[in-house]
Order: sequence, then C-alpha cells, then structure tokens
Amino acid sequence: MAPSHTVRILDGNTFVVSEATGDIEATPTEPTGLFSIDTRFLSKWVLTVNGERLNALSYDDLQYYESRFFLVPGLATHYVDAKLSIIRERAVGGSFRESITILNHDEKAVDLEIRMEAAADFADLFEVKDEILNKKGEVYAEADADQLRLGYRRGNFRRETLISSSEPARYDRNGFSYTVHLEPNEQWDTNIDVHTQALGPGGRDLRIGLRVHGTERLALQHDLEEWIAKAPKVNSEHDQVAATYRQCIVDLAALRFAPLSLGGQTLPAAGLPWFMTMFGRDSILTCLQTLPFTPELSATTLRILGALQGTRFDDFREEDPGRILHEMRYGESAAFEEQPHSPYYGSVDATPLFVVLLDEYERWSGDAALVKELEQECRRALRWIDDYADLVGNGYIWYERRNTDTGLENQCWKDSWDSISYADGALPPFPRATCEVQGYAYDAKVRAARLAREFWDDPGYADQLEREAAELKERFNRDWWVADRGFYALALDPDGRQCDVLSSNIGHLLWSGIVADDRAEQIAAHLVGDRLFTGWGVRTLAEGEVRYNPIGYHNGTVWPFDTSFCAWGLRRYGFAEEAATVANGILEAARYFDGRLPEAFGGYPREQTKFPVEYPTACSPQAWSTGAPLLLLRTMLGLEPHEGHLAVEPRLPVGMGRIEVLDIPGRWGRVDAFARGRLDLHKLAE
Amino acid sequence: MADATTRFFEDLDHRGYDPLLAKLSGTLRFDLHEGPQTMHWLVRIERGEIQVSRQDMEADTVIGTSPAMFEELVTGRENGLAALLRGDMTVTGDARLIVQLERIFPGPPYTEGPRRYRKEVR
Repeated sequence: MAPSHTVRILDGNTFVVSEATGDIEATPTEPTGLFSIDTRFLSKWVLTVNGERLNALSYDDLQYYESRFFLVPGLATHYVDAKLSIIRERAVGGSFRESITILNHDEKAVDLEIRMEAAADFADLFEVKDEILNKKGEVYAEADADQLRLGYRRGNFRRETLISSSEPARYDRNGFSYTVHLEPNEQWDTNIDVHTQALGPGGRDLRIGLRVHGTERLALQHDLEEWIAKAPKVNSEHDQVAATYRQCIVDLAALRFAPLSLGGQTLPAAGLPWFMTMFGRDSILTCLQTLPFTPELSATTLRILGALQGTRFDDFREEDPGRILHEMRYGESAAFEEQPHSPYYGSVDATPLFVVLLDEYERWSGDAALVKELEQECRRALRWIDDYADLVGNGYIWYERRNTDTGLENQCWKDSWDSISYADGALPPFPRATCEVQGYAYDAKVRAARLAREFWDDPGYADQLEREAAELKERFNRDWWVADRGFYALALDPDGRQCDVLSSNIGHLLWSGIVADDRAEQIAAHLVGDRLFTGWGVRTLAEGEVRYNPIGYHNGTVWPFDTSFCAWGLRRYGFAEEAATVANGILEAARYFDGRLPEAFGGYPREQTKFPVEYPTACSPQAWSTGAPLLLLRTMLGLEPHEGHLAVEPRLPVGMGRIEVLDIPGRWGRVDAFARGRLDLHKLAE
Repeated sequence: MADATTRFFEDLDHRGYDPLLAKLSGTLRFDLHEGPQTMHWLVRIERGEIQVSRQDMEADTVIGTSPAMFEELVTGRENGLAALLRGDMTVTGDARLIVQLERIFPGPPYTEGPRRYRKEVR
C-alpha cells in the first residue's frame, strides 16, 4: 500500500507517479506524471468511458516496474453497480506500456466511447513543484493516423512522447479515442505504447547504445530474479526482519542505475552514466551500507565516480581537480545551464568517502585490481582534501559556495539552509566546516595508508598519511570538543567558534574512528540518551536545542540512514548494546512502512506517538534508507572482514530471536552467519 | 577562424600522453560541420597515448558539432556535457570516450577556484 494515494513504478530513471485510478493530472502539489531523464513526458493521462471518469476498486504494485488497477465507471460517491470492469496494467522499462481490458458483465450489449486524454508539459524535474508557465521553448502536438506525437523544442534540444495503440484509435492533439461495441460477457483489449525520445539534431536519440538490460517485461523480470537469487538469504524467527530485508533487496534492484544492471565488476568503466541520476554522497553511503550483501554495486559506483572526478576549476559547477561529483542531471535546466548539474560538484563529503569506500570494498571483496586501477583517482581525491578544501588554512575541510545563484549553501549531508547553527540558533558565516566531514577525512587517510602500503607499494606515502591522520585527530579533539557539555560541536565557523549543538553527526565521528577513546563513552551515552534517541532512531538535532523541531528536515527528524551509521560507529567503539538499541528501533519502525523505510520520519518520542510519523514530503523508496536495514543487520551480527575470513560476533536484542544470513559473498567465497537475540535492552535504559 | 580548435588538437598531439586518459583506448572522430563543408579530426587513444590526425575514417565515437561551438568548448566558454544534453553536440557510437575526453577540456576562462578565507576582507 502506498502511503498517499499515489502509485509509483520505476526502472532506472524512468518512472510513473499516478493516482490510484492510474490517471495522471499533474499539478504543483500533486506532481504526477511519466518521467524519464529528468523530464516529464506525460503530465495528463486520463481514461474515461462514455465521458465518465473511473473509480478504483483496488490496485496492486506487482513489481517495482509494473502495477495493475481494477476500475469501474463512476465516481466513488455513487453507488457502484458495475456492469463494466476496466483493468489497466502498466509497466515501465525503457518506454511505458499500458494495456487496457474492458469486460462487459451485463446481459445486454453495450456501445462504449473510450477516451484517453493525453498531454505533456515537458517540465524539468526541477520545475514540477511550480506552475509551468513560461517554458522557453515551444510545445507541439501532432496527431497522425497511427500515432500521437507530443513534443518540445528549444534550439537543438528536443524531447518527444510518441503514443500508439495496438487497436486502431482516432488520434487528436489532446488524446485518442476508441468506439467499441461489446456483446454480453465479451471483452476488449488494447496495448498502448508510450515511447520517450531525447533527440539530437540528426533525429538520433541521445540514449542509443546505452540500454544495458532488455526493456521487455520478461527481461526485467529475469533481471530481478537473478538479482534476488544472487543476494544472501536472510531467515529470521521474527518474520518482520526477513520481510524487511527482502523488501530492501527488491527496492535496491529498482534503484540501481542502468549501468549497474550489467552485473558490475566484469566490465571496466561499466557504461558511462549518461542516463541515470547519480549523487556522489548517496551512492557511496548506500554502497557502504550494502557491501556485505550486494558488493558489485560498490565496484561500479567507484569506477563511475572515478571517471567523472573533477579535473579543472569551474565556479558554476564548483568543480576542482580531484573532487568527486555531487549530482548529475539530464534535463533542460542542466542542458541550458539554468542549474549546474552537468555535473555539479558542490559537496565536501563525497571526496573523502570515495577513498573510504574503496578501502572498505577491498576488505570485503579482496579486489586488489580495482585498488590498483583507482590509485591515481584516490591520490587526486586526497590532494583535493589538502589543497583545495582547506579554505581557512588550518587543516580542515571547509565549504563556501562559489556558485551563489544555484549552488548549495550547505555542502554536507544536512544540506538545507538552516541545518547548521550555534546553540543560540544563529547561523554561522561562511566558510563552514562540519564535524562529520573531518571524521571522513581522517578515516580516508588512515584507510589510504593501508592501500598505499599493501597495494601501491608506497610505504613513504603511507607513513605520511598516517602522520597527517594522527595530527588531524589530535587537532580535531582539541578544537571541536565542547568541554562543558561533553560532545563534539556540529561545526566551526571560520574564526574557530563552535556551533555547540548536540547532533546526530557525533555518531558519524564514532564510525570514522576520530573520537578519542576516553571520550567515546560520553558520545555513546548521548546517542542513546533521551535528547537524541526517540526510541525509533537518532534525531538529527537534539531535543532542547533552539532550532529543534520534530519535523524539521535536518533539525530534529530521524533519518534511518543516519541512525544506521551511528549504530555502526557505536559498534566500532565496542558499544554493542547501544548499537543494538538504535538498530532495533529502526528495524521496528520499518514494520510501519511495510519494510520500506522513508527518507525521514518525525523526531517525536516513541511513547508519545506509538508509531513513526512519516516526514511530510519524504522520498520513498530512497537508496540510503533502503540500505539502512542492511547495515543494521551487519552491525548487530558483528560481520567484519578479518584476515581474509569473515568474523561474526552477534549482539542481538532478546526479542529478535534467531537470525541467519546465508551466502554472504566476499574474499572467503560465500559463508553463513547465525545469531540469536540475547541482549536485554531494557536493562540498558535504566 | 577555428584557431583555438587547431591549437587544441595540435597541443593534444604534442602532449602525446595524458594521465587523465590512462584508462582509455579507442578512436574519436570530430566532424565539424559548416554548410557543405566538414572538417575532420581523428583522435586515437591507446591507454592514454594520443595521436591526432585529420583523417576521415571510421571511429568508435563520432562527435558532430559546428566549428564555432567546438571553439567555445576547447576554450572553456562552453561545457561539453551541457552541449551534449542540449543537442548542440551530438555523439554516435561509444559515448564513454567523449565523456572521458571532455574531462581534459579547460574550465571556464574567468573562473576563480577555491577562495581562501581572509579575515580582514569581511
């Protein structure tokens, strides 16, 4: 069941969002439509029978790429006396296909006028929440005998929607119609094909040669089955855990970028990413979460991000040599440089995290070849940290946007405008440095030192990196520690003043290992304390801070991905019970979302609301929320590559019962892990 | 006059090797169309080793654009990926090659790069 009345199906970056009837009538508040390559190719798609709108009896999301709607004529307020049923089945996979079946249950014959209203506004993904008024190009519609062509042209930029039907239809500029006569118990079917085109001047589609799996239904189904078969199996006494895991694996399949469905590692530079939307940070963190289960995602992500690593200075795109990209888009706003996403480099965490992922990937996979292949990319990323990110010149990573029109103010994961503040609620000047990014930089240097020593045959570089990491850790523990409150500041302003609020970012610091050992216990206590921990997860900003708001996007909500890294950090420093506590909270919350965790939910205390309150406009499924249960499983089971084998050291809460994870892939081949819940978490809370 | 274009290709040829292209092998042909005339540049890359010629022969990737647009691209005044998305430059064949080669085009001429923080300026 979808949380609102919208139904979504997707394949790569083609997706359909519709009403429960299958209709599409896009408005700024209900941005439904058929989308591909960041462009809306259908903004209206409304089916009527004899002029009447249809009413949904039910709908099913059969797979992530297909859905089915059972409809009857008339609106819901009327008494439904169905003499006619209408079934719409649709799938995406390259193009969008819909089949319509109409059954006459009456004892009399009927004559039907079946009509589909169709229109396309070709809105850029960045426009869909606004009124689409002043498109700079020209929208056109051409009705032929056998198809309807909806198009948009701006200079050489052309996008078209081609609509055709297996049953002969009468096409006009606003849609198409059928006249059908049905005898008693007779049925009528038609298949409608909606093809999206991104045309260059020669009429060639930009995407030619980029399809990596078949787009037919069977190919999609086969691809999904193969994906599921390849992933480890999870069985649990508590059936919810296994169900959540299965949902995550399916959602991960849906969220894969097209080149990833090549199966990953065997193809170098696995088909460059023309037509998928990448976020450096999200892709890397999702890979880190899912490494024990779907390691091939990591290899492809590293290669693609490495291939598009910055090479020059570009203030509009905030590109620097060595910087890892933030976001790539393919729509009109990127093409005409109204937005900087071609690609945009405005994030400061993706670059150190790139190095972290390469090392973590090798520890699991033993893929030394990739570590060697990406040596120069890694060195360039590390140089970026030292040469271009230290804007204040005191050994930290800072950010201040150079693109002041369309660039991001906050270039850390909490990227909303008001996410970084002092304890009095005031916002600091720029440049800013946030704490978790310094942790990532520390971790990147420590890990790169291992890679330099073991794979790049450069012990001198390894020594240097280790020295720099040790100095960074010492400096950080001096400058960022808020002594009277016992935690690390969220950020520093350029004069070194602390943004002394308690935030979830301290959990990431544990994960990176930058926390001094004698301070770890205080940090752990905060993460499971009442101000940060809601009972479901860790608040982005602690209750009691001036800007705290339980539904503040980065100022109080719980982000499952964020909590999953806090859990990993807790486990790293030996706080297994605390890790299990927050892991358990998120996995229990997942139950309320049928295993599909949203991007964020409200920071209300668990005992107050009894269920997790979904954040109003949260994205779902979202890659790093999908990855969260997987990382939490890894954390609770204590899965850790160790000297060529997989160490398993489970710490599960009692209520979780027995869990088994079968066929965990890695340098050891495939191994199984078994665990039983033994931790009494209530004792911890006392 | 497509002077910057000629300089770009000659410089590429003289350079002989670019570490940013070290993982790349293949041939790219640039077809610069102006009216009935088309100028061809052929770039062969073999694991970062580069050879440039004016031959018109089959290539793994064929890039089509106008001489004026290409001039803008090789001086950094236009961005290659945006031009491709816009349809002002077209690609047939292996798109990976042009996406990688585009990485060695220069950045915008008036870009400043990272700005060091200086307290007294504020």
